[in-house]
Order: sequence, then structure tokens, then C-alpha cells
Amino acid sequence: MIQITDLQKRFGSKVAVDIKNYTIHQGDMLGLVGNNGAGKTTLFRLILDLLKADRGNVTIDDIDVSRSEEWKSYTGAFIDDGFLIDYLTPEEYFHFIGKMYGLKKEEVDERLLPFERFMNGEVLGQKKFIRNFSMGNKQKVGIISAMLHHPQLLILDEPFNFLDPSSQSIIKHLLKKYNEEHRATVIISSHNLNHTVDVCPRIALLENGVIIRDIKNEHNSAEKELEDYFNIRVEEETAGEAPEETGQTPMQETQETTEQTD
Amino acid sequence: MNLFLVLRKHGRLADKRNPMYEKSRFAKFWIYLMTAFWAGYLIFFGTMLAFAMQDEATEPYHILNSGLMFVLVLDFVTRMPFQKTPTQEVKPYILLPVKRRRLIDCLLLRSGLDLYNLFWFFFFVPFAVITVTRFYGVAGVITYLSGIWLLMLVNNYWYLLCRTLMGQRFWWLLLPVGVYGAIAAVMFIPDNSPVFGFSTDVGEGYIQGNPLTFAGTLAVIACFYLTARHVIGRMVYNEINKVEDTTVQVKSLSEYRFLERYGQVGEYMKLELKLLLRNKICRRAIYSAGGVVIMFSVLIAFTDTYQGGMKSFLVMYNFVLFGILFLSTIMGYEGNYIDGLMSRKESIYALLQAKYTIYTCGQIIPLLLMIPAIVMGKVTLLTCLSWFFFIPGFVYFCMFQMAVYNNKTVDMNNTMTQRNMGTGMQNLISLAAFGLPLILLYTLQALFDESTVAVIFIFIGIAFIATSRLWLRNVYHRFMKRRYRNMEGFRDSRQK
Repeated sequence: MIQITDLQKRFGSKVAVDIKNYTIHQGDMLGLVGNNGAGKTTLFRLILDLLKADRGNVTIDDIDVSRSEEWKSYTGAFIDDGFLIDYLTPEEYFHFIGKMYGLKKEEVDERLLPFERFMNGEVLGQKKFIRNFSMGNKQKVGIISAMLHHPQLLILDEPFNFLDPSSQSIIKHLLKKYNEEHRATVIISSHNLNHTVDVCPRIALLENGVIIRDIKNEHNSAEKELEDYFNIRVEEETAGEAPEETGQTPMQETQETTEQTD
Repeated sequence: MNLFLVLRKHGRLADKRNPMYEKSRFAKFWIYLMTAFWAGYLIFFGTMLAFAMQDEATEPYHILNSGLMFVLVLDFVTRMPFQKTPTQEVKPYILLPVKRRRLIDCLLLRSGLDLYNLFWFFFFVPFAVITVTRFYGVAGVITYLSGIWLLMLVNNYWYLLCRTLMGQRFWWLLLPVGVYGAIAAVMFIPDNSPVFGFSTDVGEGYIQGNPLTFAGTLAVIACFYLTARHVIGRMVYNEINKVEDTTVQVKSLSEYRFLERYGQVGEYMKLELKLLLRNKICRRAIYSAGGVVIMFSVLIAFTDTYQGGMKSFLVMYNFVLFGILFLSTIMGYEGNYIDGLMSRKESIYALLQAKYTIYTCGQIIPLLLMIPAIVMGKVTLLTCLSWFFFIPGFVYFCMFQMAVYNNKTVDMNNTMTQRNMGTGMQNLISLAAFGLPLILLYTLQALFDESTVAVIFIFIGIAFIATSRLWLRNVYHRFMKRRYRNMEGFRDSRQK
């Protein structure tokens, strides 16, 4: 589905993305993890043709994303609130997005039904413009709008950000189900290792723009490898400091550390 | 660490390190050029006025002082595009262990000490040196200029007060309008208005170093300072939360369902209408421009104030104003959600078509407003029709080219405390949108009679309107070629 070839993006002297060759197959559910500045969002922007690559290219179904727009009709994405038209109400926004993909109002309303629990009665019928919603609810609007037209490729940057624990759990379930039911390719990035390991059978670890590990994750088998990687990073950063006894698992400690550095 | 010095440094860095300022050499050059031009103009005007008034029965400074109010009104208006209010700047410091009052005091003080308050010195210094020295020497000049500076401080805090209030509710515009209106009434309605005499006395007081005049001015400054401080302190929460009371709960929502039959373009037309009517900046621009267009239409129809070339200019102005206001920054509003648009196929093309349709249909409003003038025989129907077709044809064709080059996001809901100044290129294009049609009009009028010129204009307009799909497609393709540069610009200039 997605083929990345010799892709490079620099910001000044800093290499943001440098990927020689990477393939994501149809129906894959891929988690992208890495520390801040590893290049996750830049990679997403390059895949979505929102940024110009210095070298190389990305193809979606053999279409070079920078040369044609055909891939856009079966791709859904949400990166940040720069995707949201914030002077619309969520209903208006969903209907607008639906229309862009040829969906009727009734169809959009029907497709919103599976998201009812996720929206938790706080999104629809509020008579508020998106700009007046909390960050969490804006995040929900963005995620739903990306999934509304049932895209074959779904890209979500940090989908768990700003969400309360119940919503995080629901979206995990929804994404898994969506991937299975639609045979869609789903790519998410996250700092939350627990969620990524729970949801993604394949995890790519990004460091300084390079995919340094492509981990197969069966029955949470990637947990150990990621723990080791991020613990090494934490140890490097806290070198010289004696670790405190917290009674937590290494994964939980890693989790907290990465969240704090957000 | 001195908070005042830190804030002053941050203010300078904010301007200097603004990504758009860094990028736009043209904008920098334009700013310097305009500053130099106005400074030179004021020096010239101050000198000329001083010499021109020397033969009058009264001293030149008496004449000038009697009209100080006009200088203050002019100063108030010129502050509009340049000056921020402290409410916007408080945000980054609000959680630091600094008292909010102290923070506001420092920002107000910084605003008072801003060099902008000395800009009028380009006018007053040469004027005072030539006229005041005759009887009062250098001391008189110094005290006079000190007084003028204090007057500018009065205006500075009065402006900040009005602007902060207007940021919350646009209807606060009625405060300065009402105050200046009342002063104008007191000045011009009675035969011997006391305002001119009072103004002369104040100026005289400054020249003579009268402590009472200075004390009075300082008292007025203190009064405005404290009021502004109080109001800003109360408004800070609204600014921080960027919440507008009227938009938290929407009372009624217009759906514009009649546009649904036009498919994707119709959806973008709905979006454009919502953009115009649901965002502070756009709404204000519509109301202000609407007011101006109505006023000119009435003046043209029912008075003989404007004749000949000026009348032609105003008729054209009525037709072109809305286009200039919204199309010189075309795509700037969309910069707020450009990523969302760009991730959907050909959405920009549909958006351009929708915009063109909306603004072309919008020409019906000035046409309707010109009906009284047509009925009264002040303007011919043919002239109105010529602009009705020519503006959306030729002028909009030119303005839509800006869609390719504009890459600065316009904040849709700034509370009038941030600056939404156009880039140099946008200003230039706006100027050309006024100038070119007039030059063409006058040139053709020299060669043909009025009716022939109108028919030529109609023909040109219809030709561009009829081929709009073609040139809009071309604009879209050129936009797509520049998309990476534009998207980067939009992201960099987005207010978050």
C-alpha cells in the first residue's frame, strides 16, 4: 500500500526523516513510536504530501503522492487541529467532510452512530462551534472526521492525546475493529507505549528520522524490546542518578517519563 | 531582574523574530520606506505650515493649538493598525510568580514609553523651532514639546482603553465615535465654540510652562491609565481563553440549504458564507464596508458633494471595496485549516470557484444601493452595469492571482489586539485594484464618449467572467505548484 523510497527531509542541518526503504502493506496496523523530535509527525506530513521531501518519494498504491491527488479519495488523516474548520459545529463539519467524499447527510448520520460512545454526548447537539470545544473533544471530532468516509488508509498522529482514559480505551477498540472490518491500513503514532503495543501488530521505532527497528508485535511481544529501548534512553538522560524504588513496572516508568517530556 | 526591562526586550524580540518578518524582505523595505515617507512628509508639512502662517494676525502656534483636537483624532486613527493592547501580551506571563497588576502596569508603561508616541515630533519640532522660539526661546520649545508628548500619552491610554473594550464587543466602537462626534458638534454647531479657545489655552500653557496645564494633563493621563488598567485587568480572562461570549452557545444556525444543489462547490459556498458571518474579523469588515458603501451611495444620490472624477472614483469604490477587503488576503483565512483542505482531492479548486461565485454575486448589493443614484439621475445605469461586470471580471481576475502567492494565515478571531496587517504585496495589489481601473477609465474617456467606455468595460468584464473556469483552473494549478512553500508559510504564521 505505502512504499517509502530513499525519503529524506532536512530542517537546516537537522535530518528530520531519512528512510531508505520501507513498505507498509494493505491491512497493516502500524504503530510509530519514538522520542520527541524523532520525526513521526514529519513522516506523516511527507506521506500526506503536506511537506516537500528533499529526496526520495512516497507512493500510495503505486501513486506518487506528490504527483497525483488520486490517493486522497481513499485516505483519511488527522494530525492536529490545523485540520479542523473551527467556525463550524461538529455536525456541520462532519456533513461538510461527508459531502467532500460524496456522502449524503443521512449516510453521515448513520456512520456517526458507532462513535456515539466515543463522543460521550459531549460532541453532537451542543450548538457550539468547534473552536469552543475542549482539546479532547476537538481531538474526537478530528479522529471521527478522518474515519467518516471509511478510508482504506487511515493516519492518526497521537490519537490518544487529550483524551480521557475511557475515550482512550474506546478509540483503541474502534481502531482495531476498523482495521479488521475494512481491511484498512491504519498508521498511528503515539508516546503511549501501552496503547501502541495493545493495538498494533507491527511497530516501527523511529530515532532521529531513521526507522531503527521494525518490530513484529504478537501478543504484546514488542513490549520487552520497547521497554529496553526507552529504558536505555532514560538511563542515558539520567546518567549518574540513582534509580528510585517505585514499585512500578519498567513500562509504566517509561510511560510516565515519555509523557512528562511531551 | 527588572520586569519592565524583560517585557520590553520580549516585545522587541517578538517583532524581530516573527517568522513572516524574517521572511519578507519586501515587507521590511516597505515598512522602512513608509516610515521615512511619513516622517519626511510631517517635517515638510510642519515647516511649510509654520512659514505659511507667519503673516497671519495671530501667532502660528495659536492657530495650530486651536486645532490640536484634529491632531489627536488623526493620531487615534493611525494607531489602529499598529498598536497592540497589553491584554494579549499578558498570557505567557500569567502563571509566573508576578502580580498581574504589576504585569499590566509594566506593559502599560512600556506602551507609554513607546517611540511611536514621539512620531508627531517630526511635525511639531520644526514647527515649534520656527514659531515658538521667537517669543519663548528654546525653553518654550522644550516645554511645548513636553506638553505635546503628554497629549500623545493621553491619546495612547485613551486608545488602549477603547481598543480593549472594542476587542470584547465591537459596539464599543460607538464610544470613540460618540466622543469625537460630541466634540465635533460642540466645535462646529455654536458660532463661537469654546473648544477652540480651550485648546489654544492648553497649547499656550505648554509653551509658557504653566504648572497648572501640565498638572491637568497629567491628571487626565492618570485617569485614562487607571481606567485602562482596571478594564484590562478584567478582560484578561477573556483574552487568555480566547472565548467570545456570543459564540459559546450558538442561538441560531444558518444552513444555506439552497446552495446544496450546487454539489461540492455549493458546499464551499456555504463554507465561505459561514466564514464571513461567524468570525469576528470578517463580520467587522462586512459591517464597516457596508456602512461606507451605504454612506457613499446616499451622498452620491442625494447630494452634489461629489462631481466628475471624484464621483467616478466613489462609484467604482462602492463596487470594489468588498473584493479588496476579502480577496487581497485570499486563502489567508483558509491558512487556519489548510492541512485539512490539502488532504482532500481538488478541494482548493472547488474553494476558488465557490469564492469567485460568492463575491461575484455579492456585486448585486452595491448595484442595488446605486439604484437611488440612478433614479435621481446622478449616475447612469450603463455606468453602474459597467462596474458591475468589470470589477468581478477584470479586477477579481487580478486579485485571484494572489491565491497563488498569499501564504500568511489571517487570524479569524483576533480580538483586535493582534495585528492582521497585509503583506507589502497585498497592499500593492489592493492599491492596483483601485488604480488600474481608474487609469483605464480616464484613458478610455479621453478617446471615447461615456457610453462607449461603459460598453467596453462591460465587454471586458463579461469576457473574464465567462472564462473564469479556465483562469481559476490555472490559478489552482499554480497554487498546487507552490503548495509546499505556501503551506509552510500558513503554518508558521498561524496563531495558536
